[in-house]
Amino acid sequence: METYLQITSVWGVYLSIAVFVAGMAWRIWEWSTTPRSPIPLGMFPKPRTGTGRFFKMLKDTFIAPQSFRIEPWMWLAAMAFHIAALGAFVGHLRLIHEFPFLPSLLGEAGMNTFAAWSGSIAGVLMLGAILFWIARRTTGPYKTISVPEDYLLLALLFGVVIMGDHMRFVYGSIVHAATYREWFLSLLAFKPAFPVELTSSNVAFSLGTHMLFVDLFLIYFPFSKLVHTVGALASNYVRSE
Amino acid sequence: MADATTTEATELATLAGVIDKKMTRQLKQYLDLCARCAICKDACHQYVATQDVKYLPAYRAELIRRIYKKYFDKTGRFVPALYEGRDPDENLLDELYETTYACTGCRRCMYFCPFSIDTQFILSVAKAMLIAAGRGNEMLGQLADAAIFKGDNMEMFHDVIVDGFKDVEKEVQEITGDPTAEIPVDKQGADILYVALAGAHSIRPAAVIFHEAKESWTLSLFEAANYGFFFGDPVKARKIADRFMDEAVRLGVKEVVITECGHAYRVAEIFHEAWAGKKHPFKVTHVLEKIDAYIKDGRIKVSKAIELPITYHDPCQIGRNGGIFEQPRDIVKAISKDFRDMTPNRQEQWCCGGGGGIVAIDEMNEFRLKSGMKKVEQIRATGAKIVASPCENCRLQMEGLDEVHQLGVRIAAIMDLVVESMPLKGRDAAKV
Amino acid sequence: MSDEIKPDLELDLKGLLCPLPMVKVSQRIKDVPVGGVIRAVATDPGAMADIPAWAKSTGNEVVSAGKVGGEFVFLVKRVK
Ligand code: SF4
Ligand code: SF4
Repeated sequence: METYLQITSVWGVYLSIAVFVAGMAWRIWEWSTTPRSPIPLGMFPKPRTGTGRFFKMLKDTFIAPQSFRIEPWMWLAAMAFHIAALGAFVGHLRLIHEFPFLPSLLGEAGMNTFAAWSGSIAGVLMLGAILFWIARRTTGPYKTISVPEDYLLLALLFGVVIMGDHMRFVYGSIVHAATYREWFLSLLAFKPAFPVELTSSNVAFSLGTHMLFVDLFLIYFPFSKLVHTVGALASNYVRSE
Repeated sequence: MADATTTEATELATLAGVIDKKMTRQLKQYLDLCARCAICKDACHQYVATQDVKYLPAYRAELIRRIYKKYFDKTGRFVPALYEGRDPDENLLDELYETTYACTGCRRCMYFCPFSIDTQFILSVAKAMLIAAGRGNEMLGQLADAAIFKGDNMEMFHDVIVDGFKDVEKEVQEITGDPTAEIPVDKQGADILYVALAGAHSIRPAAVIFHEAKESWTLSLFEAANYGFFFGDPVKARKIADRFMDEAVRLGVKEVVITECGHAYRVAEIFHEAWAGKKHPFKVTHVLEKIDAYIKDGRIKVSKAIELPITYHDPCQIGRNGGIFEQPRDIVKAISKDFRDMTPNRQEQWCCGGGGGIVAIDEMNEFRLKSGMKKVEQIRATGAKIVASPCENCRLQMEGLDEVHQLGVRIAAIMDLVVESMPLKGRDAAKV
Repeated sequence: MSDEIKPDLELDLKGLLCPLPMVKVSQRIKDVPVGGVIRAVATDPGAMADIPAWAKSTGNEVVSAGKVGGEFVFLVKRVK
């Protein structure tokens, strides 16, 4: 178990973060060094001013009102997933530092309950959206346009989320954020160490597997369609140009 | 294929190379970003009407994307199987031909896509590849070549064309009741160069309106229609538009006014400057923008002469892709008593199915009429008896739809309706 | 005179607006053999320039083009 943790939750983390950062930088560099289309590709109606276009870009990217109009269910799944993923990401920041204010406001037990609730909701929402997408991708026209990349990403996401949920729901009341923080801060300090609370229980396996999927996901991220996280801003801006 | 000979492999690589030659930041992003979420699926009238996946916008783009992945994307070259990377072989080109030349370029899919992916733009690369493979649509290519030939050999056609204008001029004189009414050609220093279609129907009503508005205008010797654009060859397309753009520079006009034609307006207003790499020394406007201003400024008189319920169809190249939504509606409202808009309308207007040059492609006739299903429903729902639309291709398509589905509607150009609503001495005298 | 030429195909393009007459001739030229002739009658004056321009650029031949009454009559020969 120690070795498994060493691979997925120490070296894997370093490797995947390095690949992720370098890969995304390479992507963005590639885009920005390709000459832009001389042909204007904007569509109407579009705002007259630069500020107007900027805000329309934000709206088109983060709210996508047009997509809602044509496919509300898909929009809902995508919204639920992205918001939950953002929430989960913010929640994981507790690995670095306990939130300011919140614990003093809620008390330590209150904080753990709050985290349990919000984390659970996010975890369930993400799982729901992933299941919806898997179902969708394996039927009808969606299946025809899908390529292995799509399934690979869904599988990785499924792994990340299911193991995350596992830790949340099975070990949530036993192992708390402080324990994970100890491990994560040790990584950041380049002195990797695992607290006994982790290694002595079965949660080690869950954490290791969660991290395995996270590592693979982060490594593949810059080379997949997931670059839409950054690229959508640019392509939606072109719409209003 | 293990038995692929090296020459075949080089040919495939050359064809795939078209993508690289056409590569721009936008194309790269469109190819990299698509999540294959298929939100665009129900935006496309052709997919909705046929439920055939090959007309699903993302699938059309996917054909190009798979070649891109195999040849030009770092990850795709490493593990092509992950993206189903493909060669531009016979099978793929066959499929590409059908999906690409069917696309009307309405960009309704782009409107709804969460990343604003421009499928038409991706397909412009597909057309370039088909042309490189000698598989460009023959008819569209011929029509483009004929237009270029006409431009290069104007001396051969000048007199015949002007003769034709003279016939129309007589009609204009009869309609207006003014024997001095004229169709000026080659008039140096006119304010406006009006670019019509080859057909008299796009010249006559405009000439009447310009005459009544006392406009300083001159008629272009060339037609606005641009089959080079539909064919997918930007060099040809540019040459075709150059014919009247150069004429405008030569005559020193202040404004180039494009007739009721969708793609011609988009080509002139949105694309030509980019193709030519220089700014026009004049404005480009659509004739309906002018007419709307004439009515609002009182330069022409119109009455609410149209009693029958009337609706308006936004041509994709004028609305969503051209930015003209209100002026045509204002005109129609000014000349009719019972205007009913379609739902959805403006930027969400359904494509009628007649764009992209598809009306000239014989083998796609049946498919084209089938793809107009949404438009038929929309027209029916308004209960209108007249459908006004400022695009020749839209009108041809909707006339076809009217015939097949027995809609019992009149499909009309807006200029014609305006002329019908104007008090005109000659015509009114002939009526009584 | 063109009376001597017997057309292989008659095309009625009356009422069609340009460029449709040219489109139709171009679509139907395949239906006559090489050396065969289409006789087309159109009413849109634009055809007087369009059809000859199409023929020149595609390497076909307009044997005659003329105005008869209010109509435009073309004899187009398929060359290749
Ligand atoms: S809506 Fe956009 S991102 Fe989604 S499949 Fe269509 S083109 Fe791709
Ligand atoms: S541009 Fe129009 S016709 Fe072409 S794929 Fe998109 S929705 Fe369909």
